[in-house]
Amino acid sequence: MAQAGGSPDLPARSLPSWAGAENSDTFDEAIKALETYKKRDPSKVIVRFKAVGNAPIMKQNFYKITSSNRFQAVIQFLRKELGWQAGEPLFTYINLAFSPAPDDTVSNLFKSFSTDGHLIVNYSTTAAWG
Amino acid sequence: MSTYGTTRHHNAPGSTTFSAKERVTDYHTTLFRRLTWEGTVPLEIRVDSKELPANSDRGLECYYMQAPRVSYLPLLMPEIRRFLMDVVFDEAAAKVIKEEDWWFESEEGALLKWHWPIGLIYDSHTISASVRPSSSQLSASTTPMRLNLHLASPPTEKLLQSPSAESCKQAFMGQLKEADFIRWGNTKRMTGLRKVDQDAIWEGIKEHNFEHYWRVASKVTPTAGQTRPQSPPSGSVASMHGRAPSAEPSGPPDRDGAYNVRSVPVRIYLPDGPVLQDLVPPLLEDGTCHTLSHFLSSHIPLLFPVLPPPTPSRGNSNSLVSRTPESAYALIQGVRSPPESEMAWLGACLAGADGWLNVCIGISRG
Repeated sequence: MAQAGGSPDLPARSLPSWAGAENSDTFDEAIKALETYKKRDPSKVIVRFKAVGNAPIMKQNFYKITSSNRFQAVIQFLRKELGWQAGEPLFTYINLAFSPAPDDTVSNLFKSFSTDGHLIVNYSTTAAWG
Repeated sequence: MSTYGTTRHHNAPGSTTFSAKERVTDYHTTLFRRLTWEGTVPLEIRVDSKELPANSDRGLECYYMQAPRVSYLPLLMPEIRRFLMDVVFDEAAAKVIKEEDWWFESEEGALLKWHWPIGLIYDSHTISASVRPSSSQLSASTTPMRLNLHLASPPTEKLLQSPSAESCKQAFMGQLKEADFIRWGNTKRMTGLRKVDQDAIWEGIKEHNFEHYWRVASKVTPTAGQTRPQSPPSGSVASMHGRAPSAEPSGPPDRDGAYNVRSVPVRIYLPDGPVLQDLVPPLLEDGTCHTLSHFLSSHIPLLFPVLPPPTPSRGNSNSLVSRTPESAYALIQGVRSPPESEMAWLGACLAGADGWLNVCIGISRG
């Protein structure tokens, strides 16, 4: 979510005096657990780009991409590799089937849609698959 | 919610014939889909006072509304615009204000996404408040969610999308297709829809018309028959795992049934992020139903520790299982959801209009 980092008061929060000791322990543990889940996954996954229609083919089409990246970062990377100017249309799809939300992470997409250890990203200069 | 649950349970077992039972099931599926659809959230929309044009009526810069959970911010813009033009701005200002530059922030300064359903924005705000000092939590639960409307300089990079209804529609269709792919491993159901039907599904959202939306959506959403597959269709992976014999009558296997999908489209939202997504089969390896509690304890065990296996009395929904106080709770469509809920059923009845089941995790306080 975009608002990550929007909670500067978390570690230093103080509990109201009436909060029972036991409950505040549970609460603090839950906050600690959340911090664990917030840590970025440094592992990388293989993303494989495949051109569709008239889109130019890439010489190298395998890349290792950090899984905590958002799909938006993949799109930006692809545009750069293709030398695409801002405003030039580029449509991206997973498995020739759908466009994911740009704020979804590579990790989430890989877990749900990878084939043979690759996340396949198709790109096209025109809208395909509606 | 418990009232409906009891009714459902009351009707389920025993001597009813299959056809009668199916009718009951349909009734309940429709009921929960209707409840999900009709759900609204209270919003207080306030124009950033620094950005109000000259000669605006400053006493009235606040607009209150009940917004449908299944709708999207871009779809609220016409109504908000009408209010501002009629009441707040003068004519000169109304002429220069450009809707393309509008964007929303929460009271805490979090950017609100154009492509998230409003119900998800609201629930995500609720769980974020659950980890903040109790004073702000109190205000969050008793007042409408406050949105600050900015009239200029949208942070385009972070919004990822322009505020138009058209790009919102594209994002929405993308989510529907992704959900379709998660369920069946392909998007044949979605791509098989005629263009006019694809458009109608979005019109249903725009007009907030339950019948119009479901006339088409029912072709791509699994049915929620209470009769689970007694023997999974031969050839499927699931057939390798025998199912426990069931006393319940079972109809012909429902190919489009919620318990026959490959996976349920689900996302977990944690307070202030991240969002987690993984494959969620409707049945576990041993053939039992994948429950919400199993799902949560396998994905976020630090918040939902694995509990010792319950006594094998099946379908005993009235038993009050004594649990240790939980540190976290699951919010689905704004409702704290019982841990024994089945993922397949939730996916068929409480998913949003985009096909996704959004599970928001809040932190409990004593």
